[in-house]
Amino acid sequence: MIETIIRPEIALDDFLPIFVSSAFVLVFGSLYVGVYTAVKVNMLKKWMMVFAYFFWILTCYMLYIMGSLMHVDAFTAKALVVAMVGYLMLPHAVYYMQHRVHEENEHCDV
Amino acid sequence: MANNHLTSESKQLATWYFTFAAIIFGAQLLFGLVAAIQYVMPAFLFELVDFSIARIIHINALVVWMVFAMFGSVYWLLPDETGIETVGIKIGKLLFWVFAAAIVVVVLVYLLVQVGPADETTIWFITEGREYIEAPRWADFGIVVVALGFVGNLFLTGMKGKQTGIVTVLMADMIAFAGLYLAGMFFTDNISVDQYWWWWVIHLWVEATWEVFVGAIAAYGLITMIGAHRKTVEMWLWIEVSMLFGSGILGLGHHYFWIGTPEYWWEIGALFSALEPLPLVAMFIHVLYDWGKTQGSQDAKGEQLSVINNKPAFTWFVLNAFGNFLGAGIWGFFHTLPQVNLYTHGTQFTSAHGHLAFFGAYATILIGMFYLGVQGSNGIKVMKNTKLSIWATSMITGGVVGMTVALTIAGYVQVLVSRAQMGATWAAYFDGQSGLWFVQAMDWRLIMGVVTFLGFVLLATDLLRTGKSAVHER
Repeated sequence: MIETIIRPEIALDDFLPIFVSSAFVLVFGSLYVGVYTAVKVNMLKKWMMVFAYFFWILTCYMLYIMGSLMHVDAFTAKALVVAMVGYLMLPHAVYYMQHRVHEENEHCDV
Repeated sequence: MANNHLTSESKQLATWYFTFAAIIFGAQLLFGLVAAIQYVMPAFLFELVDFSIARIIHINALVVWMVFAMFGSVYWLLPDETGIETVGIKIGKLLFWVFAAAIVVVVLVYLLVQVGPADETTIWFITEGREYIEAPRWADFGIVVVALGFVGNLFLTGMKGKQTGIVTVLMADMIAFAGLYLAGMFFTDNISVDQYWWWWVIHLWVEATWEVFVGAIAAYGLITMIGAHRKTVEMWLWIEVSMLFGSGILGLGHHYFWIGTPEYWWEIGALFSALEPLPLVAMFIHVLYDWGKTQGSQDAKGEQLSVINNKPAFTWFVLNAFGNFLGAGIWGFFHTLPQVNLYTHGTQFTSAHGHLAFFGAYATILIGMFYLGVQGSNGIKVMKNTKLSIWATSMITGGVVGMTVALTIAGYVQVLVSRAQMGATWAAYFDGQSGLWFVQAMDWRLIMGVVTFLGFVLLATDLLRTGKSAVHER
């Protein structure tokens, strides 16, 4: 059976939303860890942590839009889901280690 | 660069590397300007310095000045980190002259000989023809000898002196950096096989070993410029290293989408490329975290003093955190998945990404190291921004961002017209190139290129003059 390839695979009107949504994936992604960091170093109040998770949700949504418009295959879609779950956990892991290092070296000036 | 305040021979050697790097940086921008003019006026320097030659010098000079500045940075920080003078410094100085002389000869051959017969003599004496690493084979061997000497100095010093996390990371990173160059030295008749190995050098340099180098230099900068806590900085560094190597090595797959390699590279490239921005976000947050934490501790003492002891260098380091995230992160992520890369591959989109990524990720932090060199060479305790340094920083950054926006618009036209609408045919290429938006984007790229070059002239002037300025605390 001959596979029919329809070109272009991406609709012309979808290119701009793809580029914009992919940029927002990283912008919201950095806002997630940025707000998380700011709360952890007491630059922002603790209740503002909710905004960090809100930005993570926006990141996921932007990635979903990007992936849908690009028609990513099943494997890539799963990879993107895994990446977002990993991204949710990443700052928690980093600041857990940060906390441990700080505890171990609280009185060390070097 | 005056170095009468330097007692360490390693730091003196570093200033030689920085000076030569700055000269080649100027050459890179000059020939970039020639190539940009040729996009607007194709007859400019026709048959004298054709676009192909201007482009060779533009992109090879980019790599060379950065490698020189990286070697200089390592020689600069080694005495501080290890607590001893660099071992084998005499050989290091000899190798500097060998390296610099080889580069001058290679550039003269590019300019004066330009092309040769399509046989082995061209590969050995004129150019190997692989983008970014076009040096002829005799120079390849010279570069290997110089790199081995450099890595030898680094390892001997690292093993003899204090072994900090920064030096340990650099030792591992630099041996990979030097070793990977070997993958770009042999020639095969099959272009797919040739490109397969060539990407080992280009990708694994810029998206793995160079990024790790930047992480190490940023760590050193944060400790020396704002007095950040070493344990904290080094913990971040190890996280960055694991993330960079974890995503960057197999992120190589995004270069194997369309060169004739097996299709499984689509999945590998997509997965690891999607992960590649993560360490860049981490590096960005790291700088802000340490800066906020250190300045916060200072403010808590009730003293409204800045913790930064080198403002121009720190400005470039902060620009590095932003630029790395924007150029390598956002502009890379735009077109890293195969579904969209099918359309963006080889358009000005790639060029936009290349300009902002090389500038944001590498040029910024290396210019910051130049300023650390000027501070040390002139015995300055607290180095402040001058009007010249502010203008230089603003013009270079504004110019590169302007070029990137212009190239992105040009790339977008190519994606829509040349690729999606007309299906990447010969006619499609020329239709895209002659579109009004593309032509105007090339005009703006040239204007912004001139702004960048003028900014560089101010930067060079500032680097030469600021050491004697009275605004600094000594």
